Amino acid sequence: MTTDFQLPAIDYQAISPLLILFGVACLGVLVEAFVPRPARRRVQLGMALVGVLAALGAVVLLAGTNVVTAGGSVTVDGPALFMQGALLAFGVVALLLIGERRVEPGGAFVAQPAITVGSEADQRQASAPGATEVFPLAMFSLGGMALFIAASDLLTMFIALELLSLPLYLMCALARRHRLISQEAAVKYFLLGAYASGFFLFGVVLAYGYAGSVDLAAIHAAVDTSQMNPALLYAALALIVMGLLFKTAAAPFHVWAPDVYQGAPTPITAFMAACTKVAAFGALLRVTYVAFERLAWDWLPVIGVIAVLTMLVGAVLAVTQTDLKRLLAYSSIANAGFVLVGVLAVGRTGASSAMFYLVAYGFAVLGAFAVISLVRDREGETTHLSRWAGLGRRSPLVAGVFTVVMLALAGIPLTGGFTAKFAVFSAALEVGEGWLVIAGVVSSVIIAFPYLRVVVMMWLSEPSESTATMVAPGLLTGTALGIGALAVVGLGVVPGPVLDLAHDAALFLR
Amino acid sequence: MPGPEHYVALSALLFTIGAVGVLVRRNAIVLFMCIELMLNAANLALVTFARLHGDLNGQVMAFFVMVVAAAEVVVGLAIIMLIFRTRRSASVDDSNLLKY
Amino acid sequence: MEGYLGSYATLGLLLLAGVLFLAAAFGANRLLRPARPANPPGKTEAYECGLDPVGGDWAQAQIRYYVYAYLFVIFAVEAVFLFPWAVIYADPGFGIAAVVEMGIFVGVLALGILYAWRRRVLRWT
Repeated sequence: MTTDFQLPAIDYQAISPLLILFGVACLGVLVEAFVPRPARRRVQLGMALVGVLAALGAVVLLAGTNVVTAGGSVTVDGPALFMQGALLAFGVVALLLIGERRVEPGGAFVAQPAITVGSEADQRQASAPGATEVFPLAMFSLGGMALFIAASDLLTMFIALELLSLPLYLMCALARRHRLISQEAAVKYFLLGAYASGFFLFGVVLAYGYAGSVDLAAIHAAVDTSQMNPALLYAALALIVMGLLFKTAAAPFHVWAPDVYQGAPTPITAFMAACTKVAAFGALLRVTYVAFERLAWDWLPVIGVIAVLTMLVGAVLAVTQTDLKRLLAYSSIANAGFVLVGVLAVGRTGASSAMFYLVAYGFAVLGAFAVISLVRDREGETTHLSRWAGLGRRSPLVAGVFTVVMLALAGIPLTGGFTAKFAVFSAALEVGEGWLVIAGVVSSVIIAFPYLRVVVMMWLSEPSESTATMVAPGLLTGTALGIGALAVVGLGVVPGPVLDLAHDAALFLR
Repeated sequence: MPGPEHYVALSALLFTIGAVGVLVRRNAIVLFMCIELMLNAANLALVTFARLHGDLNGQVMAFFVMVVAAAEVVVGLAIIMLIFRTRRSASVDDSNLLKY
Repeated sequence: MEGYLGSYATLGLLLLAGVLFLAAAFGANRLLRPARPANPPGKTEAYECGLDPVGGDWAQAQIRYYVYAYLFVIFAVEAVFLFPWAVIYADPGFGIAAVVEMGIFVGVLALGILYAWRRRVLRWT
């Protein structure tokens, strides 16, 4: 046997955010097992918030780091840290929404999801406090996302992909109200997600066959030197990108998004919309910029067509929606297209504009779902558009926040959405991809219509019998709303610091 | 004697059967089996490539894929069970509360 | 089939052949199979070898079986990491670090069983 085995050097400081997240998630499982039920929620929520904030602090302390560590499986560089920071900031807001119990008695999650819907036992648990397992699940998912962004070999990326997805599938099925829909969303998300990760895995395998390694830098080197059949390389690229585009909900891999967004409990939808998008685009940027940069001329037109398709499909179908959660799902599809425009402007400006877009979009969408969780009637949340007519007269403050968020998503000046759209479009123009910009502007105009329609309905209609009531936000949801609205306006009025930060951070370490 | 390229071809074939199976079958459990077939096709290719490159990493990766597949089985079956118990059907055509 | 665009013509021909092949295969399938392949007569009836089925096939099973099966799947499969480790951990160069790493791995797994135990899913009656 060989005896020259060396343990891989691990830079514990560089991976400290990951260690904190996974440590808190494991502790959360222990809390579930040993802390008495009444105290669990406080302990879990407090621990999760402290953990995410500590990880965020660790990310801030790491600013400027550029290392590859843990035997070449984790890269801590500018884009990884920037997007981990964004991810964790969104994570804090999403945790506030997940922890809310004031709005819906007992919280948005059911105590025992395994109990058959509609049975006697199910009616008994209708007002029981909800399951606290969501906190460890969310922490595992967040940890997986943070690893997904920083993974520098494809196997680690695959493990992280599963680690972030599996808890999400479970959390989708936990809604207290409308549980049949929630379970159906979980089944759809699971089957399609597992299908997509199968494609991703086979792409990884083919890349390994081509390059003899799954390391992103080694694949980059092998593009010029490998003796294997280049068909392997192209198939690998196609399959891997397909798997990643599924997670970003880009057309034609978007079909799961509307169903899952509508069916999942609203805090989980917010979590998915903001955090999963950052994670998926982080990985997509890393794979395309680090491993397959030399093939850019081959993948640019293909992903370009996908980006145009995504923007148009998302925008056009958003116009036809009557359910707000579905509307926001199609809006998230269209926004995936806008981020793709930034990704396609290959280079530092492109990457930084895409990263800025993700930050602006994430805060806006978190704010939007926070408001949706407040508009209810006796059946739970009411997401049908007609029930929102006249809400502005009844609760001007929260309706005002929703208006700001909608204007940001529509890309009206002085909001983060405008700056973000401007950044990605000018990055694309800089590298001469005018056709993407044309498609982007056209779909921005189309998708502004449904957003503005909601705003007009809220303010200009008279409240009637069917108008839903707006529940007063508790402390947690209120904080989340405040953070979302402030960030959206802040990113629009003084975008400079975040833009500069994104620009400084946007160099990938190979 | 079958060479490595035969194994790669077999694995591509298995992967395609799995991928097409997901598209044409209707039972959630069968869909799930097709997805597992895709993962196992990947395993076969991994081991073949490991042999071809004279590199053990491929075999280790196959271990990782097996473990991930097991975790996926547990999560997936739990979710399918959940929906089956309320609807008495595992056909994905019957899961139609959400559309458009 | 000449010139720059000629190679694209080949590709187009290939695509066309692929589409035709699929259409033919699925068409033939549709013609030959029973009208409702998801529930043909007798599919959901219990099958007893050579005999007419007696009674229904719907038996209630304890939900505990599923939990046990899930736990078993996880723990049985995680053992794939234990075998290679058990072969080499005593070799020179590995030492205490390898033992600690496996300890962490098994410890994380133990969290799962601890959780299951405290939620009383391991108790049979």
